Amino acid sequence: MNKSLIDIFVEGAKKGLHINLNSIIPNLVMAFVFIEVLKITGLLAFLGKVFAPIMAIFGLPGEGITVLLSAWLAMGGGVGACASLFNEGILTKEHVTILIPAIFLMGAQVQYMGRLLGTAGIPSRHYPILLGICLLNAALSMLVMRFLA
Amino acid sequence: MEENKQTTTTVPARLTVPWYGFVALIFAILFFSGVFNSAGGALKALDFSALLGQFGSVQGPNGAVTTFTGKAGLGARDGFLFGLSLAPSVMLALGVVEVITHLQGLKAAQKLLTPILRPLLGIPGITGLALISSLQSTDAGAGMTKAMREEDQITDKERLIFCQFQFSAGGTITNYLATGSALFASLTVPIILPLVILFVFKIFGANLMRLYLKRFSEEEVK
Repeated sequence: MNKSLIDIFVEGAKKGLHINLNSIIPNLVMAFVFIEVLKITGLLAFLGKVFAPIMAIFGLPGEGITVLLSAWLAMGGGVGACASLFNEGILTKEHVTILIPAIFLMGAQVQYMGRLLGTAGIPSRHYPILLGICLLNAALSMLVMRFLA
Repeated sequence: MEENKQTTTTVPARLTVPWYGFVALIFAILFFSGVFNSAGGALKALDFSALLGQFGSVQGPNGAVTTFTGKAGLGARDGFLFGLSLAPSVMLALGVVEVITHLQGLKAAQKLLTPILRPLLGIPGITGLALISSLQSTDAGAGMTKAMREEDQITDKERLIFCQFQFSAGGTITNYLATGSALFASLTVPIILPLVILFVFKIFGANLMRLYLKRFSEEEVK
């Protein structure tokens, strides 16, 4: 049990590498491919047009909706979509800054319904209000970040 | 659920934290806040971005300079190289978090938090450990919450409020520092600011749930 701080650090770094290889990279590959598919099919431009008025409230281009939708399924997906759109020049640094808290506040809800609410034993009829508050959190955070970015 | 018989301990009645626990906690906040990034001299060694450093530059087309990830990449290949370029950031962040945890920095946070949980979130101080754990791992928080309800340490209403807190930005610290690192280079604010916003809204959301539940009796939320 008498480990030096160096050993502890290395252990944490190993965990980090594990997360990077097993979660972040696969999620980024998925998200970059997903955005590529949307781009090649023209869906990205379409979504960008359709959601432009709503996303404008938050100071974001319409394409930002793909970040929020991907985040809802998995945080890594949302982060990946955001990074990909930034690489493509569709999102600016200000846009990324506005989006980052929202990606987590409404992130991975689809998974967490099982992993958190299910495990903790919350009756499913309370799920809508729990989900609604998270979405509200995400929306309000974007409004706040608009002024901080 | 298979893991019904969880032996999660949830009784940190008298929590003693050594002085270095508080030092570790303060260090952690300063380390990720970026306040030392602009500092000169040795203080810079206490800054996350300074220690993260940078990749060496590579000669790009037309004499441009880039990193090994290159410029104008696309699709799966670009996603992979970008993901790989994040490994040092995640490793450094989680390495430091591990050290802080070992030095009882998170215990110190729990100690400071316990007396204010009732006014802040309307949940008893005993949830402190589960709350701190939930910031590192959603699954740990969920398991401990379940155990506390079964041992009648929290009511159904308190469980709902607590779950609301955990549900928005679950696994906050680990997820933000690991997954979020993909976006750190593209932020216009210090990396700790979005993390503070996450906490503000987690608390805000839990209080909305608290307000909403005022209308119902304990029986009605079962």
